[in-house]
Amino acid sequence: MALSQEDVAGIAEYAQIALADDELAEMTTYMNEAVDMLAPILEYDLDGVDPTFHPIGDLSNVMRPDEPTPGLDLDTAFANAGSTRERYFRVPSILGDGGVA
Amino acid sequence: MATELDQLSASAIAAGVVAGDFTATEVARASLAAIEARDGEVAAFLQVSPELALAAAKATDDAIAAGEKVGPLAGVPVAFKDNMHLVGTRTTCASRMLADYDSTYTATCVSRLLDAGATPMGKTNMDEFAFGSSTETSHFHRTYNPWDTERVPGGSSGGSAASVAAGEVPVSLGSDTGGSIRQPAALCGVVGMKPTYGAVSRYGVVAFGSSLDQVGPFGRTVGDVALAMNALVAGGRDPRDCTSQDCPVDFLEHLDDPVEGRRVGIIPELMEAKGLTDEVKSAVEGAARTLESQGAELVEVDLPHMGDSIAAYYVIGPCEAFSNLARFDGVRYGYQEPGCATLAEQSSRSRAAGFGPEAKRRQMLGAYLLSSGVYEKYYYRAQQARTLITQDYAAAYERVDVILMPASPRSAFKFGEISDPTEMYLSDMYTISINIAGNGGISVPLGLGADTHLPVSAQLVGPAFKDRSLLTFARALERGTDAGAGMGDGAPVAPDFVGRGGDLA
Repeated sequence: MALSQEDVAGIAEYAQIALADDELAEMTTYMNEAVDMLAPILEYDLDGVDPTFHPIGDLSNVMRPDEPTPGLDLDTAFANAGSTRERYFRVPSILGDGGVA
Repeated sequence: MATELDQLSASAIAAGVVAGDFTATEVARASLAAIEARDGEVAAFLQVSPELALAAAKATDDAIAAGEKVGPLAGVPVAFKDNMHLVGTRTTCASRMLADYDSTYTATCVSRLLDAGATPMGKTNMDEFAFGSSTETSHFHRTYNPWDTERVPGGSSGGSAASVAAGEVPVSLGSDTGGSIRQPAALCGVVGMKPTYGAVSRYGVVAFGSSLDQVGPFGRTVGDVALAMNALVAGGRDPRDCTSQDCPVDFLEHLDDPVEGRRVGIIPELMEAKGLTDEVKSAVEGAARTLESQGAELVEVDLPHMGDSIAAYYVIGPCEAFSNLARFDGVRYGYQEPGCATLAEQSSRSRAAGFGPEAKRRQMLGAYLLSSGVYEKYYYRAQQARTLITQDYAAAYERVDVILMPASPRSAFKFGEISDPTEMYLSDMYTISINIAGNGGISVPLGLGADTHLPVSAQLVGPAFKDRSLLTFARALERGTDAGAGMGDGAPVAPDFVGRGGDLA
């Protein structure tokens, strides 16, 4: 079943990409073309086939010794941030609709 | 007599620097002059880094003057795809999202080349976040194919391929998630290698598809690519990338081994595929005869699930991309939309303004495919298909050492010629299954196509962690080919750019 513009708006909200109305129409066309292109995957005979999530299949839980190592210093870590205050990244209100931060 | 930098291989430059024929500083200045003279028309670079280049070159010259041992890439100018961190440069991924992002650390692949003595010339253009096959999705500008500037260089590592084809640098690095080294190498007529997944550290390379991405070198000769592979891999496993593996070096050791008695797989079905042009088909058939004439045996093999790889890739790739690019929320780095009342609004408006159309498309597709009820239908089944594709290759490698096929179905196309995104995805029809299986692959130039008179290439692919053997076959193919620089001498600099700037004293 084809994705509607409303479906695609829901996906955009989930993906946190604020699409403009004209983008939404184009994106809906693209999404339906792309999903059509993927349709063959629904027909493959895959009964009993284990999935491969990674090309190095036997690789798991790679750990280093639990010893402290230097990380980025604060100045470097903050160098590309849009807004910081003291030792923190600064963001607008996380809850509700904003108001006074 | 003056020496032109663009006529020297990386190994000849390193040898000349060590022998005192010229200094690393003279080489760096020659490369800067070549970039100055050529890049106005090629636009391979997003950022040139003369200060870093001259400082690195001086360090190399000082080390030689002090009698210290220098690395195998001493004084060799290199360029890096702009998804690789290098302190002192921006790392933009050709996106508005990261237009002002300063590298906070240096990627392992970059530092290993620099540790080997290479001189960093700058950062090259690419499709935005590596989403594309033509470098047309770069936020900043196009890159022009040095063989015909009305045409694309391929992508996503189009700037890295074009910088080598135009003779601005002898070696560059790219990254390959579905063909992004091998396809632009084919369209620009240079050698481009995607090593086995895990051979080269991905630390410091902005992630696209974490189970698919791999870094590799471009060069005009197979020997230069092998030289760069040594620098990338000889340091062993990188503890900063948990998927990086120890793997065999030296890549030069077996380069000139004979291929007599060894077996080369041919997949007849791939040579009849829709979209493959006559000139590429004919050139790859010629490549098969070249290897056969050196005593290799051609063996027909079958990859029954190869046809499933495009659909599987365009499930796995976008899903991994959506996960990886979720980090770009405008808080710690990246474009931040001003004046937003809530964090959610700031994130979604920053992402909407920061990402270009193709980056949005891939993430939207990934978000949909990972959503509840859809995941099982597509993502899980794509991973099952991945098993079958990998098993096909494993079965084929029981019978052959390598497989020969096209790298790209056609030579370079014109700007705007492929405007439908899903049609563009077919540019990678010969390359993506190698990323799905995690194996190595390499594009080897075969000269100019009979019809378009543009570069065409063969692709050789091999089993996981047999990249040395892959290079042996690539060298054998090069040895029996005159791609325009003379028999066995690799690929030439694109004729319109030869000798423009880059005089070495």
